[in-house]
Amino acid sequence: MKLTKTSKHPRPTPDAPPEGTLGKAINRRAFMQRTGLTLGGGAIATGLAHTMVRRARADQKATAESGETVTKRTICSHCSVGCGALAEVRNGVWTRQQPDFDSPLNSGAHCAKGAALREHGHGERRLKYPMKLVGGQWQRVSWDAAIEDIGDQLLKMRKESGPDCAMWMGSAKFNNEQAYLFRKFAAMWGTNNVDHQARICHSTTVAGVANTWGYGAMTNSYNDMHNCKAMLFIGSNPTEAHPVSLLHILKGKENGAKMIVVDPRFTRTAAHADQFVRIRPGSDTPFIYGMLWHIFENGWEDKEYIRTRVYGMDKIREEAANWPPAVVEDVTGAPEAQVKLAAQTMAENRPGTIVWCMGGTQHTIGNNNTRIYCALQLALGNIGVSGGGANIFRGHDNVQGATDLGVLANTLPCYYGLSEGAWRHWSEVWDLDFEWVKSRFDPESYEEVGGAPVSAMNTFGIPVSRWIDGVLEDKENIAQKDNIRAMFLWGHAPNSQTRQPEMKKAMEIVDLLVVVDPYPTHSAVLPDRKDNMYLLPASTQFETYGSLTASNRSLQWREKVIEPLFESLPDHVILYKFAKKLGFAEQLTKNIEVNEDEPLIEDILREINRGSWTIGYTGQSPERLKLHAQNRHTFNITTLKAEGGPCDGDYYGLPWPCWGTPEMKHPGTPVLYDTSKTVAEGGLTFRARFGVEHEGVNLLAEGSWGKDSGIKDGYPEFTADLLKQLGWWDDLTAEEKKAAEGKNWKTDLSGGIQRVAIKHNCSPFGNAKARCNVWTFPDPIPVHREPLYTTRRDLVEKYPTYEDRKSFWRLPTRYASIQATDYSEKYPLIHTSGRLVEYEGGGEETRSNPWLAELQQNMFAEINPADANDHGIRDGSDIWVEGPEGGRIKVKAMVTRRVARGVVFTPFHFGGWYEGKDLIDKYPQGTEPYVRGEAANTVFTYGYDSVTAMQETKCSLCRIIPA
Amino acid sequence: MKSERRRRSWLALVLGGWIVVTAPIALSVTLTESSAGAEASDQEKAREASQNPRAEYWREVRHGAQGYSAVTGPEANVLIQDGGETWQELRNGPASTIGAWLMAGVVLALGLLQIFKGTWKLDHRTGRTIKRWSAFDRFIHWGLTVSFLLLALTGLGLLFGRYVLMPLVGKEAFGAVAAVSKPVHDYASPFFIAFLLLTVVAWMKYNFFTSYDLEWFKKVGGYLTREHVPAGFNNAGEKVWYWFLSVAGLVVVASGLFLLTPNFEWSRSTMQLSSLFHIASAIGLICFSLVHMYLATIGNEGTLEAMVGGEVDERWAELHHDVWYDEIMASRGTKAEPDAGSARVS
Amino acid sequence: MARMKFLCDAERCIECNGCVTACKNENEVPWGINRRRVVTLGDGEPGERSISVACMHCSDAPCAAVCPVDCFYTTDDGIVLHDKDICIGCGYCFYACPFGAPQFPQQDAFATRGKMDKCTFCAGGPEEDGSQAELEKYGHNRVSEGKLPLCAEMCATKALLAGDGDEVADIFRERSMRRNTRPDTWGWDVAYKDGSHEI
Repeated sequence: MKLTKTSKHPRPTPDAPPEGTLGKAINRRAFMQRTGLTLGGGAIATGLAHTMVRRARADQKATAESGETVTKRTICSHCSVGCGALAEVRNGVWTRQQPDFDSPLNSGAHCAKGAALREHGHGERRLKYPMKLVGGQWQRVSWDAAIEDIGDQLLKMRKESGPDCAMWMGSAKFNNEQAYLFRKFAAMWGTNNVDHQARICHSTTVAGVANTWGYGAMTNSYNDMHNCKAMLFIGSNPTEAHPVSLLHILKGKENGAKMIVVDPRFTRTAAHADQFVRIRPGSDTPFIYGMLWHIFENGWEDKEYIRTRVYGMDKIREEAANWPPAVVEDVTGAPEAQVKLAAQTMAENRPGTIVWCMGGTQHTIGNNNTRIYCALQLALGNIGVSGGGANIFRGHDNVQGATDLGVLANTLPCYYGLSEGAWRHWSEVWDLDFEWVKSRFDPESYEEVGGAPVSAMNTFGIPVSRWIDGVLEDKENIAQKDNIRAMFLWGHAPNSQTRQPEMKKAMEIVDLLVVVDPYPTHSAVLPDRKDNMYLLPASTQFETYGSLTASNRSLQWREKVIEPLFESLPDHVILYKFAKKLGFAEQLTKNIEVNEDEPLIEDILREINRGSWTIGYTGQSPERLKLHAQNRHTFNITTLKAEGGPCDGDYYGLPWPCWGTPEMKHPGTPVLYDTSKTVAEGGLTFRARFGVEHEGVNLLAEGSWGKDSGIKDGYPEFTADLLKQLGWWDDLTAEEKKAAEGKNWKTDLSGGIQRVAIKHNCSPFGNAKARCNVWTFPDPIPVHREPLYTTRRDLVEKYPTYEDRKSFWRLPTRYASIQATDYSEKYPLIHTSGRLVEYEGGGEETRSNPWLAELQQNMFAEINPADANDHGIRDGSDIWVEGPEGGRIKVKAMVTRRVARGVVFTPFHFGGWYEGKDLIDKYPQGTEPYVRGEAANTVFTYGYDSVTAMQETKCSLCRIIPA
Repeated sequence: MKSERRRRSWLALVLGGWIVVTAPIALSVTLTESSAGAEASDQEKAREASQNPRAEYWREVRHGAQGYSAVTGPEANVLIQDGGETWQELRNGPASTIGAWLMAGVVLALGLLQIFKGTWKLDHRTGRTIKRWSAFDRFIHWGLTVSFLLLALTGLGLLFGRYVLMPLVGKEAFGAVAAVSKPVHDYASPFFIAFLLLTVVAWMKYNFFTSYDLEWFKKVGGYLTREHVPAGFNNAGEKVWYWFLSVAGLVVVASGLFLLTPNFEWSRSTMQLSSLFHIASAIGLICFSLVHMYLATIGNEGTLEAMVGGEVDERWAELHHDVWYDEIMASRGTKAEPDAGSARVS
Repeated sequence: MARMKFLCDAERCIECNGCVTACKNENEVPWGINRRRVVTLGDGEPGERSISVACMHCSDAPCAAVCPVDCFYTTDDGIVLHDKDICIGCGYCFYACPFGAPQFPQQDAFATRGKMDKCTFCAGGPEEDGSQAELEKYGHNRVSEGKLPLCAEMCATKALLAGDGDEVADIFRERSMRRNTRPDTWGWDVAYKDGSHEI
């Protein structure tokens, strides 16, 4: 039977006025857009009968009369998709949340977390006042007293142990301006011991990818996945980690893209895939080599692309020869047919994209994994094309921005590094004397590079993953003056880090422990500490404003929704207060307006614009970002390009690099390294970052250049000298010439060099080949190495890990000495970890949100039915999961075929328990999260990436015992 | 899953025997259920399999397939339950219609009896009484009566009030009544249970059938012919009433207890089954109690006195419960003179 | 006259539970009550599908048929609503409902459940549209504001569709054709026995 229409009413076109269906205060586009289906079915439903329209009109009147509700445009703070959300505020109270249909990133869509944002306006379980631990009890203190006391202690320690005795752990929850100010703050305190979650999230991606083709970020965008013909997800479960990305992924799939999921678990993403390949945890590199073996065997590689744009593919081919199907099956568990089908699918459906996340990055060979993913895409010629790319989904809402703005132990903002040149550049931007900046640091040298001593200012600091060793390690073994004595956990969940038993110890012995966070976090309850610990209430991002960078490099402006709740303060206000106490407030905000201790966000962004030439954070002025926010509806949802309107031609959020000054009006770069567009239109070549030749082989592009390029071949990065050689020097204005003399595209503060390069349709950073051979890394060509804790002892000999290292990120680091011991007898199961859709990160915030907490009330471990039966474990029963380093957790068993036999999976969002004990009594009263549970990382073990010190959380060992 | 099945089979076992007692309702219930189910699923399968390769999957879903849900709550992991439809059909259909007809039939029959036969009066009274019910007996009887009436009235209100009462008094007023009725029904039930159990235990001794009970049945207690039939302390009709009360009472209690305790998160199928048994047994009890109440009040002169004062006139005992009367007299060692004019039949 | 319906596209639903929290958010639904939920069938195995389910606003709604106090009513737009002032919390609607939609704030002995709560299609209840009383008892009345239920509006993948049944069916049919899947209007055959379930 056919569906019979009971009524006919005219269907308004999208351009028609909203016909009075909307409350005035709500101020939205035509009502039919509500179904938000332009993306999906290509159709629009009105869904309203006349009766309702009449009712709506009456309602509109009422709302207009009261006239109190204001709508704020905010951005979800729970992942990197960057979903827009509309907050209705009445009398300062966040009363309702509406979908932001205008946002081209999410069209109003939300996952569980995004749809529960308004709970931030309640914040019932928030940390409400500054608290100090005295005699094992939490006492309320004033902000002034807290800052005075902490500041005095810091100054004293600084005198005794030098500035490196304090570690500033920042956050991907900062907006860009706060992140930048945080890094600047650490610099002015005089240490590189500053880091944030990106270390344990995508640090191996940034290192691996940037060293392959120039930049370490997602090359394309979520939206661009509409154009894919194939999609390979490896170590990525966007359905739970980036749910709204599925809006775009499924759109791509419905457009005909083949979807392949490679994962140790049958995830919710796998459920939507055309092909699912189950691999053993930690065997990503062998799997990709297995695909490459078939690609090379069948000649599916893009030979012309490789010839013109790739360096070192021959070496990849050589290594791939070591991975015939039988070996791949032995090491990964994936049968030949599946691997071949995946390879063939990618080869026959171009352009195709690859997506990876923590499943690929969080390994001792994380950087190898990320580079081999890149190599696969380079072999297929998939980089630099719409529908292709390496779509690396970042984690937190602003982890891309916080990474870009250098809340990292190894670089100043925008990847300038820590060399003297970098410091001089930023000192110039800050309008400060370089010598003064230098004087803030420990002048001693503790490390050598090439036989020459390097001062503390120019050496990597201690990273997030290793701060506990910075506290626990013998002083003599650490490449700095003293141990870490003052620890700042600023927007950081400690339970997301491995080796919790040691962290507990470190938290107990560190002299001063300061937690700055909207919530008390697991830090408040983990250590058995009596004194000298502070909890300082920070505001959430809904209580301040500023810009943030989504995974696709788009910057979005987030408005303030409500005033800071309770006694909380925005992070940049707290920073300023500390700077005042510590004596460098004046330098910190030299060119930034400060209003009652609040540095002006717009001024901070302008300062970022003045200095961030490397990755093009220069064109995104506050004014342009606000204009984009106001005109989101003018951007195309697939291309992200504004069609008409005040932002005509711009890409949404001016995805970096947005070259030159804001006045240059660069539209942003939607797809990195896309030579089919001019640079001025957002095109690019591969970056010339690694010199012009290596061992006599040309590293510059050969026979490939960007559209209409003024140089029809490869070329190095632009400098003042190069401009002169090319005869383009006189394209600079007199003022630009003055600023550009002796500078290059990264350091010329006038932007003239970039402007002229782009005028000639050249990439300011040169035109080189991407490289598969990173000769500066421990494994120049990515190879497989068995995890430190492995069940496959037979593979250890053939694929051994690295030698132990004496000083790595200032600390001795173990590899072979751990792998030498066989733990697999006593701990026969592989332990891996991951995310749940309801929670984020350490979960303190989301577990304190009742709408989310109700959905996941128990920490659990996924166990295959076979393993459960072997151990006498029933679904839902309590079990102990024990790790080889002695940590143990009591959790509920979830018996499921999501995991393979021999693999145990735990989500890492839980905290507030430790080894079988609920620590509820240790929270300050009224701040206990609704749901508490064991931290998975109590069981996770040692192991760090050989380049970035990324922690290993995807393959360890465990055993399970009924509780 | 398993415990659920166990629960169900247990319930079936307890209630199985009773089905015979309330045959008309239960039979129609069972028949409708099985035939409707079988027919639908066969047709469905055939049609869907021809159209849709995933038909089997969706068919399973429609019949209570269980999955995973992050939401916790009673049967949150079941997408569609199909028992509700059957339950609704039976409750709103046979259970209430047959029930209503049954009750109406009983009232009609009693009315006719009263019209054509009138009250069965005592020809005379001796003035002498015999102790029939102790204070305790009367206490449990009236306790049972009051709680039963409360339950019956409120229960009937919840089943039929929407169709009978609501049109008269309006939705709001009926809603207010119902809002009181429901807690009254729920809180009267423990009293009913207690009195019922006491009654069943205390009076069992009077209710074992004897040989002359057969004759009582043959003559339908003599109600149509006004002929006295031999009877002991309880006549055969009363015995039937007792046993019906015991069995149907237990059913009404057992099913009611499920309905009364949602805190144990009984499955919906348990609740649906309980509800049907509850309705059927309750209507059975109501019908029988109507007969009982009629006969004990206007139907027979002198009967109510037994439960009010505990004593009956000797003449009443002699007429209606001659065997008992004889036993009492025998135990006293004297036999009272039959009154003149009284025709002692049989 | 429009006939409001929900439709969950099982090919798109990813069990993100956005619909569940959107509902909590918009209607201040307390802990323990879930007007909407997502059920995953075949969890962890090939063929796994997730489906979001709430009150389907059935034609000839079973809840209404069994309600002893007749507290349900169907709006002109086919939305099944109920009057909490009349509801006595007997639980019958929960027994009758195929979709497990009715929820109760309590589950205590003596059949104490409190007033039934369920999805209103974000259309409130019998109180005046947009009034405080309506908000407190039933949540926001989006329909009277010219909006659709928030769960569908916020659905991460636009799997959950809400609106006039004809239009929803059109969209779904088109989408199914595009991806070559059969338009399985999940649950419609159970909910809409008036014959409007096939597309």
